[in-house]
Order: sequence, then structure tokens, then C-alpha cells
Amino acid sequence: MTATVLGWLRYNLFSKPFDAALSLVVIPLLTWAVYGLAHWILAEAHWEIIGGSLKVLMTGLYPVDQLWRAWFAVATLCAMFGAGLGLSLRPGRAALTVVASAGTLMSAVAASVTDMTSGMLVAASAGLGVAAWIGVHHSALGQRIVLPGLLVGVAAIFVVLSPPGFEAWGGLLLSVILTITVSILTIPFGILLALGRQSRITSLRVISTVYIEVIRSVPLILVVYWVWIIVPLLAPDTSVPSLLRGMAGFALFFAAYVAEYVRSGLQAVPKGQIEAARSLAMSSWAVNVDIVLPQALRVVVPSLVGQILDIFNGATLVFIIGLTDFLRVGQMILADPQNSGRTYEIYVFLFAVYFAIGGAITYASRRLEAHLARGSR
Amino acid sequence: MNAIQIPSGTTSRDVIVSIASLNKSFGAFHVLKEVDLDIGRGEVVVIIGASGSGKSTLIRCINGLEVYQSGHLTVDGFNMPTEADRKYGGEKELARIRKGVGMVFQQFNLFPHMSAIDNVAIAQMRVRGRKPEEARTVALRLLERVGLRDHAHKLPGQLSGGQQQRVAIARSLAMEPHIMLFDEPTSALDPEMVGEVLDVMRELAREGMTMIIVTHEMGFAREVADRVVYIDHGRILEIGTPAQIFDQPTHERTRTFLSRVLRH
Repeated sequence: MTATVLGWLRYNLFSKPFDAALSLVVIPLLTWAVYGLAHWILAEAHWEIIGGSLKVLMTGLYPVDQLWRAWFAVATLCAMFGAGLGLSLRPGRAALTVVASAGTLMSAVAASVTDMTSGMLVAASAGLGVAAWIGVHHSALGQRIVLPGLLVGVAAIFVVLSPPGFEAWGGLLLSVILTITVSILTIPFGILLALGRQSRITSLRVISTVYIEVIRSVPLILVVYWVWIIVPLLAPDTSVPSLLRGMAGFALFFAAYVAEYVRSGLQAVPKGQIEAARSLAMSSWAVNVDIVLPQALRVVVPSLVGQILDIFNGATLVFIIGLTDFLRVGQMILADPQNSGRTYEIYVFLFAVYFAIGGAITYASRRLEAHLARGSR
Repeated sequence: MNAIQIPSGTTSRDVIVSIASLNKSFGAFHVLKEVDLDIGRGEVVVIIGASGSGKSTLIRCINGLEVYQSGHLTVDGFNMPTEADRKYGGEKELARIRKGVGMVFQQFNLFPHMSAIDNVAIAQMRVRGRKPEEARTVALRLLERVGLRDHAHKLPGQLSGGQQQRVAIARSLAMEPHIMLFDEPTSALDPEMVGEVLDVMRELAREGMTMIIVTHEMGFAREVADRVVYIDHGRILEIGTPAQIFDQPTHERTRTFLSRVLRH
């Protein structure tokens, strides 16, 4: 045993003089940093600030007496997430254990820092997600209604959340809804752009190519800001809420990237596939919809899931058009003088949540890639 | 341009495919030169020739997968649009011709994301407008005919090359074609699987299907062909019965080619 440990140490950390020197410097530094952080987290930090501002962090300025609407959104999101899992991951014992313990932990945290009701609601939402996961995995009908179900879910969230006004949306809920809505919007738009770029019709091809290239050469923040100012100019008598203008900007921007992913997928479909379909007298439309796109999208799915992370992280930029997303809400809490000493607590919390969500998306993208690679020829 | 339907029986030999002084180039490379060939209904024609001689290109012209620049090509009573026609449309004529012409490829080209039965059913639904149950019933019957009923629900990746090619034949037959084109259907197969595909083709020939086959299987050509066409550098050099071509070729080049392919 000791010999094995020593062998491992020697092989991995001290195999060459340079390795040894590096290890001697890095290991104590790392130990010191981890110890310092752990000590701060466990002994020094004042986590009451998170508990006290949890409502604001999660929903921003959403009216307190309307919070049931936000809870509805949380439950719907959990069910949608579970349904998505049902398509890609088998609810085996290990996976179920991980999800169940994460749900239990989160509801325990919610119960302890706020009240019992929140804890129960978190637990119920997690349960709903798991039920959707198992249900979709085991029923063919469930699998068929996932995609329409996701659209209905998003629509329901919008309908239920909107009565207090779009200006009231904020916090993590805003970031998540923006990410999901934009992700869904970009896919059809991106596919159309990709097909347009390959079209035999010159005007369509030129328009699509110019659009994609222009958008890809400017920054996200510019497109979002530009859409935000141009909508009131184009339609002076209407007042489109900033949130919708922001989502439009994001969707217009990321659609160009989706188009390029889809194009690479289209190019990966062998020419013989199109010839076979054409020789069966299938129309161009049917060839695209039934033969080319299903194969192309398979190749592209991991990149598209990865892009959800870009959208989620990019969503921190919406503060420039006056929206209060998750990061912005944290800064707003710190703007209150009585919280000024809690900068580290807030930022560590933001970091942890962004890291957890980002890590989960990256992991899902990797799993999908492996899963699809196994299923291909 | 309008497709003109020639009422069947007006031509002397009931010609189903009529090719007259057809020319085809890929850029500067002149692939097919003044090709003339008439194929009668129910006839089995085997096209042979060295690789790069243009034999695949010729049959790909017959269902419009390749465009041709000049000449006349009539398939099943419809005029095939030329390259110039297709710049401004021709899609309708193409679709009409393709409905009557099945094609089997060297690389099978099955749709990898669909089971065998769906491969056979999809075009029936999209082109013939059949209901899914009806299309699947037809598909199952055709898969049975090529001996693959038990494999109907497998994906192409789970089938051997020979099985995939038989599914591909069933897929073409599902459109009830009048003409079947075979582009080297056994060239990508392991030797032990060639027989099962040739058996299916032999059966089709016996049932009276018009077939145009590009192949290197000379034994098969001799057995099923009504006529054998020898193409050399984009020109038809010789046409005749298998006995004429294989036993008494008149051209020196035909002799050289045959001696090369028949030696082993």
C-alpha cells in the first residue's frame, strides 16, 4: 500500500527534477489556498446574506405576493429538464441517486435559509423532474411529445409569469428563461439560414451568407444593444418590453452561429444520401427534412448544447439594456450600503452557481457526443 | 420546356429509353461522346467497359443525377431536360421521370438513421402519398421478396453489405419503377455476398423488369443480358448479344478489355 502510494507520487509528481521542483512549489501553494478558502467558507463568511437575499437572487424584483408564478416556472423548468434527460440518459440507479441527492440537498438548503414551504416546493419540483425523466424514458408516446412539450412549457412560463410585467422579471430565473427561449428560437432560424446559404436561389444564398458573416464579425453586446434601440425607431407607437428586445437580439446573434454549426453538419452528410433520395423522386423539401437534416443535426447536437452555455454566460450582458439578470442582481444587493461588507460572499455564491450550471451543461454536451458517436455508423 | 408523353406502342419496338447523340462533359472533360442507344421494354442491358469509360455516368444521366449538354434522352415517354433546361426549372419533369426509374448504387446509400422497413417506406409516403401503415405493409412485402423480412426493424449499420444492397433494391422497387438502373451493385461487396444480390437481380429480370446494369460480373452478364454494350472512352464501341460480345468481339479494344477482365 505504502509502496503503491510512493510509486504513484514518484511517477506523477517527482519523476524528473523539474517535476519535483514544480511539485514542491505548487503543492504547498495549493494546499494553502484550499485551506484558506475552506476556512473562510466554513468559519469566517457570513452566509446569512445569501439566505436573506435568496428571493432577490432568484427572481429579482418580482412581486412577493406573485411568487407562486415563479414557483410554477421552476416546476415547469424542472419537468422540461427531466423530459430532456429522458431522451438522452437512462434513469439508472447511479444517475437517479445523484439527481435525488442534489434535489434533497437543494430543498434542505432552501428550507434552512428561507422557510419550510420553499423547501417543500423545491423538493416537489425536483420530484416532478424525476417523474418526467422516468416517464419519458419508458414511454414511446412520452418521447414523441417531448419537443412539442418543451415549446408548450416555455409558452406556459411566459403566460404565467407575464402579468406583473416583463420589467419585474429578474435574477437567476430571468437568466434561465432567457437562455432557454433564445436556445429554442435560434435552432429553426439557424437551420433556415444554413439551408439558405446552400440554396440554388441566388438572392436567398447572398442574403443568408451576408447575414451570417456580418453577425459573426461583430460582438454580441453590439447586436443586443442595436436591436434594443432600433425597435422603437421602427415601431414608434408600440412599446416592446426590453426583455423581448433583448431576447430578439440574442436570438438574431446566436442564430448565425447555429447556422454555421448546421452547415458543417450538412456538409458531413454524404452526397450519396441526397442522390439516393432524389432518385426516389423525393422533392428537395422532403430530401432536406427527412434525409439530410436528421443526419446533419445528429452531428451538430453536442455543439448546439455547448452553445446553450455560451448563451447562458452571455446573458450576463443584458444589464446594458436595463435588465436585472443573476449577476446584476448580485451587484444590486451589494449596492445597498448595509451589505457592502459581503462582496466576497455574494461573488463566491454567484461563482458557485454559474460553475454548477455551466459544468452540468458541459457534461451533458460531452455525454451526448459520446452517446451519438456510439449510435452512428 | 414541356414533357411530351409518347403514347406507348407508337414506336416500332416499344422503346422505353431512347438515347440519341448524347454528349456530356465535366468541365473540359468530354465524358460521353455522341452516345446512341435504344432500350426496349423488358430488356436487360448490361454495360461494360474500363473504369472511367463513362458507363456509370451514362446510367446516371438516365435518371437525371447527371446533366447532359446536348442530344436527346427520352425515358418512359418523358423528355429528360438538358443542362440548359435545368437552369430554369425542369424539376417537374425530373420528378416525373424519377418516379418510374429506380436506381441501385454501388455504396447502397441506405438512410442510416432509419430501419430497413422505414428506408423502404419513406419515399412511398412522401412521393406516392401513401399512409404510413400502407407503406409499411408494402415495405414488408418487398423485404420478404428480397429475403429480409426478419431484418425489417434493423438499422442499416446492423446489416451486412449484401443485406443492405437487397434493402436498397427493395427500396427502389417500392416506387413501382418501370426501369431499374444498377450502378455496379456488387462492387462494394465481399465476394461471398455477391451471389445473394445477383439472385435478387436475376429474379427481377425473369419477371420482365427493364434493367440497365453496369457491372464487372461477366458471368452474370452473359447469363441474364439480352444485350451487352461495350463503352470505351465515352463512346459505344460495340453492342450485341452476350454471345456476340463475349465470344466474337469485332473490335480489337473489346477483345483487349475482355481478355483483361476474363483472365482471372
